[in-house]
Amino acid sequence: MPFHLSVFLENKPGRLEKIMKVLSEHKINLSAMSLASAGNFGVVKLLVDDPQKAFDELKKQKITVTKRKIAAVVIGNVPGAFYDLLRKLSDRGTNIEDCYGFLLNDGKTAAIVLEIENQPEAEKVLKDIDANVLDEDKIYNY
Amino acid sequence: MFWQKEIETAPHSEIQKLQLRMLNDTIERAKKSKFYSKKLQNVNQLKNIEQIQELPFTTKEDLRGGFPYDFLAVDLGEVVRLHSSSGTTGNPTVVYHTAQDLQSWANISARCMYAAGARKNDIFQNTMGYGLFTGGLGFHYGAERLGMMTIPIGPGNSKRQTWFMQNFGTTTVHILPSYAVRLYHSMKEDGIDPKKDLKLKIFFIGAEPHTEELRREIQELYGLKAFNSYGLSEISGPGVAFECGEQDGMHIWEDFVIPEIIDPDTLEVLPDGQEGELVLTAINRRAMPVIRYRTRDLTKILPSPCACGRTHRKIARIKGRTDDMMIINGVNIFPIQIEKTIMNIPEASKNYIIEIAEKNYMDKLSVKIEINDEAFDGTLEDLEKLKHKIETELKSETGVSPIVSFVDQGTLPAAEGKAKRVYDLRKK
Repeated sequence: MPFHLSVFLENKPGRLEKIMKVLSEHKINLSAMSLASAGNFGVVKLLVDDPQKAFDELKKQKITVTKRKIAAVVIGNVPGAFYDLLRKLSDRGTNIEDCYGFLLNDGKTAAIVLEIENQPEAEKVLKDIDANVLDEDKIYNY
Repeated sequence: MFWQKEIETAPHSEIQKLQLRMLNDTIERAKKSKFYSKKLQNVNQLKNIEQIQELPFTTKEDLRGGFPYDFLAVDLGEVVRLHSSSGTTGNPTVVYHTAQDLQSWANISARCMYAAGARKNDIFQNTMGYGLFTGGLGFHYGAERLGMMTIPIGPGNSKRQTWFMQNFGTTTVHILPSYAVRLYHSMKEDGIDPKKDLKLKIFFIGAEPHTEELRREIQELYGLKAFNSYGLSEISGPGVAFECGEQDGMHIWEDFVIPEIIDPDTLEVLPDGQEGELVLTAINRRAMPVIRYRTRDLTKILPSPCACGRTHRKIARIKGRTDDMMIINGVNIFPIQIEKTIMNIPEASKNYIIEIAEKNYMDKLSVKIEINDEAFDGTLEDLEKLKHKIETELKSETGVSPIVSFVDQGTLPAAEGKAKRVYDLRKK
């Protein structure tokens, strides 16, 4: 099951930098991220090419990090493509906890990363709607 | 069961007779000091112990004002040790000991540790600071008097603490409650489970006020018994009062001090059971007898006899100090209330600080808590829920609305000496 990393950070200069320094020093590539803040602190989600290594190295630096299950769906880089996916999901009552996207190499398609840690049923729903779900290996190294 | 059975279990009337005799001797000795020669010049021998209430109080300011030698009641040649407060503001409080003072202090410290269950075959690791602070040397000599092999390791360096515990089979430890929590986390990071990998059996915790909840947490983490202790350098140091196996209040050694509880505002002596400021008279000190010393510690005397058989009365866990009370927008709060609240929320980490600032003429109370690595599930939503829960609980405990925020683990100042929890940033 693919996963991304969720990292706690204080809303202060240098905190995100510290996390990136760890990734940089261990030659871990970041493909996408999203950051949410609640005033003095926040959480950043990181999609990287070697999440297990990143997890271990961040832990070593006493950075508070946890793994969260994800699914990545490929959609066309055209108007309405994301709407289409969301409509199918909401029709089936699937809620999205957290999501972000990034453009794939060909420029014609994009990957939408959905956090499904608390929605084990999401996998089946994605299958039912014939979504183009990326393999674990592809997610990390597209 | 007892270190000194006869005195520890003497009927209270006998203890009072002894106290009267020792108090009268103390008054005579104290009169040799510059300070008490004036203060006690019209005081004659007391006829009953209640007359102690006619004696004047001694305050911290008196001790500071008497720097350096106004309280010394013996020839300087008789003095063998000096202890002192840090004195960061004004003159330090200096306390002198004769050889006999050190012996009687070591004896009551040994009595304390024995009451908690320590025996001569135990291995004792002393993680308190040595030096001018009395926490280290006080228990050091007490432990040696009891006969334990004593490891005078001093504070800090958690890996080394653990290494000694592993290699020498440490069974008893003198430790700050805040440091006990930190030390556990260091062990855990190194894959050591104190319950399985160490032989620890007793922690003597003290030197900073702490809650029953924190004691239970420490007992749980390490799988041992943690005993609360009370002491202050002005009287001698640690060992003035200590918990027995019942773990319900601290026996105050009444052949060493006479305790009274007063109302800090009216200065009236309160009956047993009522909460107020603890006042102590040291009746077994030579170099520097202190009479009716206002400790500023808030507690009460517990009236009931103790199941352990000791007849010396008990004082309740220290609730706070008259001078660490915080006034937030007119509401009185003790730091211990905040600690109690945080201890009762298992998802919250136990490392926190309290900050008081002023904005637009209003006081603002902030509580910064280190993120709990184990409880972090990766969602902002759960962090916000936890923040809200802590804020609600704090509001209901203290009556003011604090702002709770989370900070990275390991970023709050590490507790080497006493954990500094409160930072008052208001302009004085």
